[in-house]
Amino acid sequence: MSHILECTGLTKRYPKRDVNAAEDITFSVNEGEIFAIIGPNGAGKTTTIRMIATLLQPTSGEAQIGGFSLVKEPEKIRKIITYLPDEAGAYKGMTGIHYLEFMASLFAENPKQLEGFVQRGEEICKLGDKLRDKIGSYSRGMIRKLLLARAVMTSPKLAIMDEATSGLDVINALEIRRMIKELAVSENMAFLLSSHNMLEIEYLADRVALITDGKISRVGTVTELKAEYNARNLEEVFEKAVSNNAIS
Amino acid sequence: MQFRNLLKKELRELFTLQVIMSMLTSVVLLVLMGQMFGGAVDSAEEQSGAANIAVVDTSNPEFMNQVMSVVEQNLKVSKYNVTSDDYASELKRLEIDNLVVIPEGFAESILNGEPGKIDFISTVKVGGLTSSLSTITSSASISVISHVIQTMVLSGNYGLTETQINTLWNNVVAVEYATFDGKIVNASAEEITGNVMMQMLIAPLVIFFLLFMASQMIMTAISTEKIDKTLETLLSAPVSRLTLLFAKLLAAIIAALANAAAMTVGMFFYMDGLSGGIMGELTGTAGDAMSQLGLSLGVMDYILFGVQLFFTIAIGLGISLILGALATDIKSVQSLLMTMMMVILVPFAACLIADVNAMSPLFKTIMYLIPFTHSYMAIPNLMTGQMALFWFGLIYQIIFFAVVMYFAVKMFTSDKLFTMSFDFSNRRQRSDVRRQSGK
Ligand SMILES: Nc1ncnc2c1ncn2[C@@H]1O[C@H](COP(=O)(O)OP(=O)(O)O)[C@@H](O)[C@H]1O
Ligand SMILES: [Mg+2]
Repeated sequence: MSHILECTGLTKRYPKRDVNAAEDITFSVNEGEIFAIIGPNGAGKTTTIRMIATLLQPTSGEAQIGGFSLVKEPEKIRKIITYLPDEAGAYKGMTGIHYLEFMASLFAENPKQLEGFVQRGEEICKLGDKLRDKIGSYSRGMIRKLLLARAVMTSPKLAIMDEATSGLDVINALEIRRMIKELAVSENMAFLLSSHNMLEIEYLADRVALITDGKISRVGTVTELKAEYNARNLEEVFEKAVSNNAIS
Repeated sequence: MQFRNLLKKELRELFTLQVIMSMLTSVVLLVLMGQMFGGAVDSAEEQSGAANIAVVDTSNPEFMNQVMSVVEQNLKVSKYNVTSDDYASELKRLEIDNLVVIPEGFAESILNGEPGKIDFISTVKVGGLTSSLSTITSSASISVISHVIQTMVLSGNYGLTETQINTLWNNVVAVEYATFDGKIVNASAEEITGNVMMQMLIAPLVIFFLLFMASQMIMTAISTEKIDKTLETLLSAPVSRLTLLFAKLLAAIIAALANAAAMTVGMFFYMDGLSGGIMGELTGTAGDAMSQLGLSLGVMDYILFGVQLFFTIAIGLGISLILGALATDIKSVQSLLMTMMMVILVPFAACLIADVNAMSPLFKTIMYLIPFTHSYMAIPNLMTGQMALFWFGLIYQIIFFAVVMYFAVKMFTSDKLFTMSFDFSNRRQRSDVRRQSGK
């Protein structure tokens, strides 16, 4: 299996900070894989994800995305990824459909492609007639669905989502999870997710990376990790991994 | 107890470091402004304390002396000697703004039962609102003189007939002269100053409102994008960062220009409605006098003003864009907006109340460092032909614009948008969370 993303030693230190917010981040994501970075708040998930989404320039380290260098060719990478920020909103004055059209126009190379993107977006978000309403009137769950549809309608090679389901109720969170899972299987689309909710990731991710204090301590499939730590779920895995690290 | 805790919490939320900073800034600014304008008003008051009178008349020294001594009992008078009737240069030589001249033959005319002519010369002041004050006392002296003469003629024995005395109710005719920059015209300086002020006030007012609206608009727009994270989404999309930046700026400039157009139309009608049509009046006598004094604006002046207006707005938008992009929450937007408003308001107020060019070197430098000062000063400078000052202002603004653009481009093409912020409180919270969760 080939890698769509390969990070090697990605490190970020914010100005006027004396610790690295992310340090020596090394992992890779396969094509069509759902990969999740999990860790508590402030662990460095957003920092890592923003580096990969070409928003933050790494202090050191490098990543290859679809064969392009993150440091040298970010504009090429932007063509093959999409990014859904944590707690993102959309333009409140726009209608849902207008938002999809606007975002599609940034990715499409011709009108026909644009139309295709928008159509896909409409289908994926399942918002129906509500798409004709202003986004300002949407609920949190509706916005998240719209943004998710936006992020995948262009069939990116890698969809990057920061805390994709945080702040949603159970039903909406389940729906979003199901959407992601379906897309990964049917479209062979790779997902890089982050979450501080380890239980929900357990049902979603093929592989996970555990991150604390800016450093990745373990990478593996959920089953592997559970077996290795003799744990019942990812939360237990995390707890044991962190305490092991502290001792060693 | 509950209430106290709640109150404490609310206060702590309201008084963040930024809010306190902007409060301090306003206080400092107000104090500075007070000193600045206080000085200007003081000097205006000093000038207006005494009436400037020059008695040239030698036709009846005894009568004149009597008149003057009574006048001086009623009014503070500074006496001057004029040596020629080139009043414009006499004023310059004597270093005064205005002068009442009692010309040769005045007393004789009065005592022949004819009205005496008094010349009232005053300089058109182009600057702050306070400058026109100084003419008031001198012009008041004319009516005092007239009154004194009436009383004296009525009570004294000057051998005038009944009819002559009756005509002398209007014994003094004031002939008004307005001077400016060595030129002199036969017109009321007060009226001209009023007209000049009217014209000069409109431009800064338009600039002020434009800057105000444009800054607020773009700052709200960009900070909303930042807070809603739509900016992050855009920046990760395959669009050139420069395209994003300039689309934003251009849209804002277009909106500002639309505003400007609407405002210009509105202003025109407002002006036209004022005192029965100032526009019409300007083309009449006052307008003629103004162009004779070199105080009117030509087509070239308007073009130059337009160019400067463009840079003014571009600078305002650029700064607002940069500041707005640094916002991380609504509170920081508010204090950033406040700061921006101050930067727009202070030079506006300064130009309105005082003549910036006449301020002390320190304040002048401070004011000139604020790019918008030059915009507010543009029309006065163009009107009075101080082209060196105008060009200096324009060039300074162009350089300032380039610097602002440099920073805007740098911010949009680097990760400064995410690593820089004015949000102190939030960072502290974040590191608290980290400290707790890490251990
Ligand atoms: N813009 C920033 N400037 C300075 N420090 C930051 C900034 N953003 C995040 N940090 C710090 O970096 C660390 C990691 O934060 P983040 O990546 O947001 O964590 P997570 O997404 O896992 O909650 C935290 O300690 C946070 O305070
Ligand atoms: Mg985060």
